[in-house]
Amino acid sequence: MNLQAASSPSRAWLTGMSEAVPLLGGYVPVAISFGLIATQAGFSAWEAVAISTLIYAGASQFLFVGMVAAGAPLWLVVAMTLLINLRHVVYAPNLAPWLTPSRLWPWLMHGLTDQIFALAHARLPQLPAAQRLGWYTGAALLAWLSWIGGTALGALVGGELVARWALMGEILPFALPALFLVLVAPRFTSRRWSLALGLTILSALLLTLLGLTNVAIPLAAVCGALCFQLVKFSHTAERKDAQGERHE
Amino acid sequence: MSNALWIAVLASAAGTLLIRLLPLLWMQRRLARQASDGSLEAMPQWLSLLGPLMIAALFGVSLMPVTPDAVSWLATAIGVLATLAVWWYKRTLGWPVAAGVAAYGAVMMLLG
Repeated sequence: MNLQAASSPSRAWLTGMSEAVPLLGGYVPVAISFGLIATQAGFSAWEAVAISTLIYAGASQFLFVGMVAAGAPLWLVVAMTLLINLRHVVYAPNLAPWLTPSRLWPWLMHGLTDQIFALAHARLPQLPAAQRLGWYTGAALLAWLSWIGGTALGALVGGELVARWALMGEILPFALPALFLVLVAPRFTSRRWSLALGLTILSALLLTLLGLTNVAIPLAAVCGALCFQLVKFSHTAERKDAQGERHE
Repeated sequence: MSNALWIAVLASAAGTLLIRLLPLLWMQRRLARQASDGSLEAMPQWLSLLGPLMIAALFGVSLMPVTPDAVSWLATAIGVLATLAVWWYKRTLGWPVAAGVAAYGAVMMLLG
């Protein structure tokens, strides 16, 4: 999985899929948990799979089945689900400069999860224009199918899997922080960026520790953005940073 | 599932898709307009800032172990260091992730 461009459009699909493989370590155990929890909340296996196929947004799906099981009004269930997913608003515009003309892109946004955004934001600028649609489709499709497959597995045999592979369920999800780290590490290009990124990471972790997982991502990013705007080390560094932003 | 519940699922799915899709259409129109005007700054600065910072925030949130205790925090720290070390050496995507998971798993299995 080298950070080189794929050599042909057909290979771009495979490259996208192979580069999305680390996501599976995080996706499959969580999807298994979702399938298990959904069936425990009274949904059938295929209903759990339908929710994963159609909504396809981890945290909000857990909230959805939890609120339905608790008897919350359905309008509130929908409102809360959408509120949690609101952070996705900034994802597509950040990818837009690298998207090639195609009618498929709007439909492919169904697969634009947190993880696919992080991967695509790092990789699309490095790929030739002809490879981008194939790469994104391969990566997003593998992630989506693994989420659906994991949900089915969890709904059908989740209890047995959790009992037998408890430790694997704790180890494999580390693939996600490891992947995010690899994607964010090249961004530490100056003191100004390092401070903003460091503050974002720490505040996101702190908010999660305080149990505010759902607001941690947008709130921590806003903290980092404020830090970036307010802290300026020197005139030269500032100009270098401003130029760097346009190239990133 | 009742019909009302199906409608709730479909409304959540459609709403989530629109949250992901509409900003793309907005940005594509903005890019096309800026290109025809010959302007340089197509993307608002705040938006280009938020991209990398959202990934950093995702990293921060994902650092929380499944079962937070001293061993899993130690495993997280060692996993992060292993990931960084292999990334520094290889500058690839897959190997650092594999090394991080292996280091994290080794600590969990030895001390957990």
